[in-house]
Parts: sequence; structure tokens; C-alpha cells
Amino acid sequence: MSTFIQTLAVGLRLGSIYALVALGYTMVYGIIRLINFAHGDFIMVGGYTMIFTVPMATALGLPAWAAVLAAIVVCALVGMGTELIAYRPVRKKGTNMTALITAIAMSLFLENLAQAIPAIGPNPKVASQIFAAGGLRIAGVTLEYTTLLTIAISAVVMVVLYEFTQKTRLGRAMRCVSEDKEAATLMGINVNHTILSTFAIGSGLAAVAALMYMAQYPKIYTTMGSLLGLKAFVAAVLGGIGIIPGAVLGGVVIGLVESFTTSYISSSMADAFVFLILIVVLILKPAGIMGKNVGEKV
Amino acid sequence: MKKNRTKQGYLLNTIVIVVLFALFQVLTAAMGGSGSFKLVLAPCLWQCCYLIILAASLNLVLGFLGQLSLGHCGFMAIGAYTAALLSLACERAGVFEDKEGPVFLAVLIGCILAAGLLAALVGLLVGIPALRLKGDYLAIITLGFGMIIVNIINNLPFCGQDGLSLGSASSSLYKNGLGFGSKGKVSYLWVALLVTLLCLVMMFMFIRSKYGRAIRAIRDDEIAASASGINTSFYKIMTFSYSAFFAGVAGALYACANATLSTSSFAFSNGGILNSTFIVVMVVLGGMGSLTGSIVAAVIMFLVNYQIKNGTWVTALPAAVQGVFQYPMLVYAIVLIVVIMFRPKGIFGSYEFSLINLGRDLKAVRLRKAAERAERKEAKAHA
Amino acid sequence: MKRRFLSILLAGCLAASLTACGGTKEESAAPADSGDSASGEPILLGTISPNTGNLAAYGTAIMNGVNLAVEEINAAGGVLGSQIQVINADDQGDPTECMNAFNSLVSQGVGLIIGSVTSSCTSAITDSANEEEVVLTSPSSTADSITTEDDYVFRACYADSFQGAIAAAYAKQAGYAKVGVVYCAADTYSKGLYDSFSAACEKYGVEVAAVESTASMDVQDYTNQFASMVNAGVELVYAPYYYDVIGPYLVTQARAASYTGIIMGADGYDGAPSYVVEGADLTAFNGVYWTNHYDPADESALVQNFVKAFQDKYGEIPMAMSALAYDCVYMYKTAMEAAGSADPAAVRDAMADNSLTYECVTGTFTLDESGTPVKGATIVFFASEGSEVTTTLVDVVKELPEA
Repeated sequence: MSTFIQTLAVGLRLGSIYALVALGYTMVYGIIRLINFAHGDFIMVGGYTMIFTVPMATALGLPAWAAVLAAIVVCALVGMGTELIAYRPVRKKGTNMTALITAIAMSLFLENLAQAIPAIGPNPKVASQIFAAGGLRIAGVTLEYTTLLTIAISAVVMVVLYEFTQKTRLGRAMRCVSEDKEAATLMGINVNHTILSTFAIGSGLAAVAALMYMAQYPKIYTTMGSLLGLKAFVAAVLGGIGIIPGAVLGGVVIGLVESFTTSYISSSMADAFVFLILIVVLILKPAGIMGKNVGEKV
Repeated sequence: MKKNRTKQGYLLNTIVIVVLFALFQVLTAAMGGSGSFKLVLAPCLWQCCYLIILAASLNLVLGFLGQLSLGHCGFMAIGAYTAALLSLACERAGVFEDKEGPVFLAVLIGCILAAGLLAALVGLLVGIPALRLKGDYLAIITLGFGMIIVNIINNLPFCGQDGLSLGSASSSLYKNGLGFGSKGKVSYLWVALLVTLLCLVMMFMFIRSKYGRAIRAIRDDEIAASASGINTSFYKIMTFSYSAFFAGVAGALYACANATLSTSSFAFSNGGILNSTFIVVMVVLGGMGSLTGSIVAAVIMFLVNYQIKNGTWVTALPAAVQGVFQYPMLVYAIVLIVVIMFRPKGIFGSYEFSLINLGRDLKAVRLRKAAERAERKEAKAHA
Repeated sequence: MKRRFLSILLAGCLAASLTACGGTKEESAAPADSGDSASGEPILLGTISPNTGNLAAYGTAIMNGVNLAVEEINAAGGVLGSQIQVINADDQGDPTECMNAFNSLVSQGVGLIIGSVTSSCTSAITDSANEEEVVLTSPSSTADSITTEDDYVFRACYADSFQGAIAAAYAKQAGYAKVGVVYCAADTYSKGLYDSFSAACEKYGVEVAAVESTASMDVQDYTNQFASMVNAGVELVYAPYYYDVIGPYLVTQARAASYTGIIMGADGYDGAPSYVVEGADLTAFNGVYWTNHYDPADESALVQNFVKAFQDKYGEIPMAMSALAYDCVYMYKTAMEAAGSADPAAVRDAMADNSLTYECVTGTFTLDESGTPVKGATIVFFASEGSEVTTTLVDVVKELPEA
């Protein structure tokens, strides 16, 4: 029994982070239909920003998590820069394929640029403790407060994002752009502006995800984003890409699958099972768990 | 007339290739023993061979079929491990003792073929479910597949870390299986070149056949293609599996050229030039839809990578440039972004180099340039 | 217009990233011009190390160790009256690149090579070294089969079979009857140590009650693995991982999963204290033991001089990797002096002569028939002291105890 609860706790811990990252993914994908491979690297950018800003925040007498504000700004800027410099020109001229390859190139670029910056370098860095340790004890197993906080933040972000896309002017514009760019333009929506704001929000979310990631797994390294981003994307696809509650559901499912595989099936095959689950779900239900199948327009 | 010209083209190509190959054999015989040939040229040619096959075979899927596969190195891993294990098994069963003679040659060819066939089979198995999905989803699935393959190989009791990549097994692969040392690489260089040539011929024939036309139709408009009576799923899966076959062959060549196999070499992204991302980079750089482009891009990428690290001229450069060369990946990323931005179709686009059409193509380029110049002049005159 | 602006922007980005890394290139060891007493041609010493890529930290450590040793030797007049000139090649931690690096060094006329770091890279070039008759000494490739009899390959570190067995012997001596292993099946280093540890456990009659693995060397969560260790009731867990997961992840998570026993590791733990989370509960690190090549706090003059010189030059305590690379250079020096020449074949013969004694930072040793040092391992443990984790020596084990 305690093994089960322990596994559940670990699964939630991983899942809550995947969920938070997947929210950012699904935001961007939902609007421009581009797998932003660089999203994982935005998390890396946020992580390194906080490595440098956490000591500043504590020196100023602020709580350590206040450093996330700077990280949000940096990430949003990097995200907008990526869109302006790389994605927008390619979107104009190229096909979906070239856009995807640009995203891979951006991811490579960010990872290697970070390695080339002397203050960062190839060695991993370890963050300082952000939230005080401690947690709920259930049946001899500790469920960390940080995990609960991550879940709470994911839920709040999910609700806020959902309301934002449903109720606000910009949110409605985003949904329009995702459905039909030309029609949105005709309706007087500035498509480029809307996409840029999407990138700003999505990348800002990456900074929040980076904070919660660091709070639980305090090692930051330049390639940390690639596998994390991939799994988060898998989570977003699993839940139904572009659907905000789906991302959270997918994230938690992926975390649980990973954890239960480790405990009960094979600890070295956890990653393989994550992708296996994705393949199975996509074959059974190509639009994801919460997605709706839409026929193709001819 | 048209048909005649095709035939003439084949004839010309064959003659040129035979002459080049004969020249090469003479050259090998003449300088095979010399240090720089053995240490630099032969290993480089081996590496170029498998990179060329890999890039060209991915181009079938990426450029001609229009589907992004990010797990191409997974097939290569299958090929490499199949060839290595099979050759080791043959050695242990006493089929050959020295790496000489017709029996070993037969084993070598057999291993390469088996590697390709197994990779093609796995390609078929992966392709059937994966190709029901499109675009981005397919990319993610193939990426996931590449990871699963590496994960599975690591956990198989007879390969992974247990069998081949640990020192003992790897040196046994080297000494007993088909891993070649410096001398072996020279004496069997012709096999690598011949295999590469054969693969390329097969790929060229494929894209010129009705299959090739069909998959290009699918790439350009899937719905229209299927409306015209093309069985899209069949063609997609077939191309996928055909391309996996060549990736497997490339894996076998890789196993020959390297004394050791390590699954981390086939991961989605690692420090080296050989990974699924970089093969995509090669294809994009060369031009999606141009096999000759892929060949040129593979050779260029290899040379740049090799020269940056090992070229003696690098030390003569100013320190700032050398500093940049410490981060070759960064340079590749920037080059890739710039190429996509300014030439979204790659350097070659969909242009295929061919000997018989060389004169005509050059003339066309000259004419186009002249026309452009005239146009500009006219525009200026108007202004 | 927009396009031109874009290209300017891109060019700017390019230039910025270029200048960002332009300054970081460190000049490799001073070539022959530093010594004026030198006569004749410099001796070429090749090094192969992963200077870029995921293992870049090791590449730096190797280069620092080699450069320090070469500077010392050159300042003292070189070897046999000649200066040593270092030519470095990068292998990115990839076997193919390693082979290219090796070939390019050999074609530049290098006859003595130090490299490479990982066993998978080194095993890609061992047979080429024999074929080309070039002496190859690896500072840190621990896989058993790297060195064999009658060849040109040597190393400065002990082999996996020794290191894993030392840990098993320690478990036996300290009276732990039931042990467990958490390792990574996909990594040569981790897997090699697991194999030798479990084999030695069988030999010593220690029961391996639970074995768990991870998919890669940088998995974030080890809680489940340690929870199953707790369930199996083991008192010691052998966990061969590197410092970058030990410091931030593995130890704290093991304690959080209520595992209170001993955690035992190998030389990969070196450097873990500088990867400990600031502000975390450091008492978790009590009861973490590991085997290392040397102890920087060793009182002997050789070690202290090395540590001081290294600190003066690079401003940090040398990792074992640097010490091993430093030793490689001195092994070559000893062998060249014994052979009276820098000719690879002569150096090889001198090194293959098992009676030659090397006085090195990581111990005074001779080489066995295969070319692996016969030397002891240092067993050390971590302890939390205030806000930092310190390393304390437990024992130096010279040879494996009988079963």
C-alpha cells in the first residue's frame, strides 16, 4: 500500500510539472499549429535566469520565488524574439515542414548558445532551495508541499487561461486566428500581433514552469529542456492539443504512467512506455483524450 | 527521342562511374599503404559513405514523400546492431576466421543485407500505425520510436551495454566481427563505395519510377492524389520502409567503420554530428527533393565537422575564430536558420545534378541570369 | 527592405554569439618556446578528450591536469632534454569522433597519446593504437577490457572489476549482509560497476536483495527506486552515478523516501559537494561512502604540491580526473626516461616492463601484465558540517581481501 501511495506521489510530482509545461505548449500550438521545439529551451532560459536572480532577490529581502518575475520577463522576450526573428519570416514563405525544422534549429541554437556563454557553460548548475521543505504524511509517505503547490498553480493557470481565451478580447482573437487566419484578418484582427502575444504568454508560462521545476528538481543544465519539452508535448498531444484542460490531464497521466512503470513494470523502460502510451492513444483517438475529431476540409 | 536520351544518360553515368571506380582502385593500390591515405582519407570516405546513404534515404521520406521523420537514426541503430551481432555470431560459429577471402566477403554482404532487411521490417511495423497520422504527429511518433528503439536495445540481454558497447565485446567485434581496423578499412573501402553507389542507384531509380511520381503527388496534394486513384497509405508505408532499408544499410556500414557501438550514438540529439536531427539538417540544407543535394550536403557537413575539429589549418586562425569553432553546433544551428529563411527549399531545391543534362542546365542558368540582368536594366531605364 | 533588416539582424545575432564565445578559448599548453634549455625537436604528446558536448566538464579537467604537468616538466628542462608539446583533439564523447581525432593525431606524427575519457570512446581506438604502434594511455577508462596483454594500451586508473569489488569488500567488512543496487542500464560506466559489484558480492557472500535501474544517467526522480530498496530491507545501496545527480537529486530523494541506510558509490561522486542544493537539509549526506582514486587532503608531499599548484593555476581543488591526467603525463615521463628515448615502441616496451615503478599523485604503483595500475582505492565518505558537505578518508585499500 505504501508503495502505491509513494508511486502516486512521485507520479503527481512529475505530472504536475509536465502539466505546467504542457500548458505553454498547447497555448502556442493551439494558435499557430507549430510544435515549438524551443519551448523546452525557454524553460532552460527561465531556469538560468533564476539561477542568477534568486540570489539577487534574497539579497533584496524578497522571497526566493520573487525571482520568477524577472524570469517571466526574460522568457517572454526570448519567446517574442524567436517568433519575430525565426518563425514569422519562415511562416510567411515556407510550409509547415520548414516551420517545424526552424523550431528544431531554434532549439539547437538556444541550447548551444547557452553553452557558449561563459557565465553558463556546459557544467550543470544547482539552484538554492526555493520553498521550505516539508509535506503531508499519508501512510508513511510524504507528499511534498511543493508538489501540492505545483498542482495548485497548474489548476489556477488552467482556469485563468481558459477564462482568458473564452472571455477577453485578445483571447477570442487567439481562438479566431487558430481557426482561420484569413478570416480573422478580415474581421479586423491583427494576426501577427495576436501570435506575438501568444508567444509572450506561452513563454512567460515556461518561466513559471521553470520555477516549479527548480523547486523540485534543482539542477539546471543546457539540454534540460529537450526531454522535458518532449514529454510535455506528448502530454499536450495526449490530452488533445490546443485544449487547455487537456494539457493538464495529459501531463498528470504521463507523470503517473512514468512513475507506475518505474515501480511496477521496469524502471529502465519508463521513457519507452511514455511514448508507447502516446502511440496507442493517437492510433485509437488521433485527436487526443479530450480532443474532437474534425474532418478534413478539402 | 526522349527514351533514347534517358538511355544515353544511363550509359554515360555508367561509363563515368566505371572509369572513376577503376581510377579509384588504381589509386588505392598505389597509395593504400601510405599513412595519410590510411589514416585520413579511408576513414573519412567510410564516414561519408554512411552519411550520404542516411541523408539520401531520409530525403525519400522528407523531401519526396513530404513526411517529417525524426527517428531515422533508430533504423540505423537496428542496422548497426544487426550487422554487428550477426557477424559476431558467424565468427563464433566458425564461418570465417580471418577477415579475408570470399567467405568473409559473403558474410559481409550478408550482414549488410540482413541489416537493411530487418530495418525495413521494423520500418513497416512502425509505419503502419504511424503513417495514419500526419505532419507534426508523425514527427513526434517517429521521434518517440527512435527513443524506444534505443531504450529497447539497451535492455536486450544480448546487445545494449551487455553485448557490444562494453570494451570486451567491442574489441571482439573489432577483432572477430566485421569491425575494420585502419588496414581493413583500406582493403574493404571498395565495398563501402560500391554499396553506397548501389543504394544511390536504387534510390534514383525509385524516384524516377511510377512509385516516385506517386509519392511526389502525395506530397503535393494528398487528397488530390488519392482522388486520382493512388493508394496513399500503401505508397507512404512502402516509401517509409524502403527508406528504413537504406538507413539499416548505413547502420551496417557504420558498424564496419567503428570498432565499438554505443546506443548513445543513435540518440535523438547528442554531441556528435550523427543523430536524427543532423540528418534532417543535411536533407534540408541540400534541398528537400534533391538526392544529389543530400549527397553534397552530407559531404559538406562531414567535411566542415571534420575540419573544424581535426584540420591542422585551424590552429593558424585567429583565436576568436578558433573560439567559435569550439561550438560547432551553434554554427550549424545558425546556418540552418539562415538557409531556411533565405532558401526554404535548401541549396539545391529540387534540382538534380545529372551528367547528360549538365550542358543544358548550365545553359539554362546562363540564360536565366542574362534575362534577369536585362529585366533589371529595363526596370532601371523605366525608373 | 524588411528582408535586408532581417539579414542584418541575423548577422548581428551571429556576430553576438560569436563574440560571446570568442573569448572563452583557452590557449593550450605553452609550446616549446617557454624553455630555452631545450634541444632538438619537441616531443609531441597528443590528448583526446571531450572538450565539447555533454561531457565537456571532463574534457576541461583532463586538459587542466595535462597542461599543468607539461608546464612543470617543461619548466624543469623537459624530458631527455626535449620539451613536450601538447596537441589536443576533441572527441565530443562520441566513438566516431574519437577515431577521427586519433587518426588525425597519428597523421600529425604523434606517437604518445593520452585519452580518451569514456570507455566507449577509448575502446573505439585501442586496436588502431596497436595497429599504428602508438602508445595510448587512458586516464579514466575503467572498462576491464580496455587494456590487454602485449599491446600499446595502458591506463592510469584502476579497472571496474577492482572498483566495484572494493565496494563489495567494504560492505562485507562493515557487516552489511543485505545490499541493493540502483544503476543505469544504458550507461557503460554504471553498468560496468554494477556487474563487478554484484559479482564480488556473490564472491564475498553478500546478498544482493534488490536491483533497480533508470533509463538514463540524468533521470530526475529516484524516489521509487529507493522506496523499493526500503521495501527489500537493504542496509546498503550501491548507486554508481555521477556527481551531477548525486548532489542535487539522488541522496536527498533517497532520504525523503525514508531510506536511512548507507549509499555507496564510485569515483563519479567526486565533486558532488559543489552540486548540493543551497539551503537543503545536508544531514542527508551522512552515510554516503564512495571509492576514489586519491584523496586531495592526503598529507604526502606529492599530493599537496599537486593540489597547491593546481589551485594556484586554476583556483579550484582538482577533481580525480585532473589528477589522473596529470599522472598520465608523469607516467610517460618515467617511461621515456627508463627507455632513454621518446620512440613509441621503446616507450611501450618500457611501460610493458612490469617492474617500472611510477610515483604519482594517485599512488605509487607498477602496471600489471595488461597495463592497468596495481594500486589501491581510497574509500571516503561525505559528512554534513554546517552549511557544507565535507569529504573524509575512511581507508585506503591496497588489494582485494580474499573471499
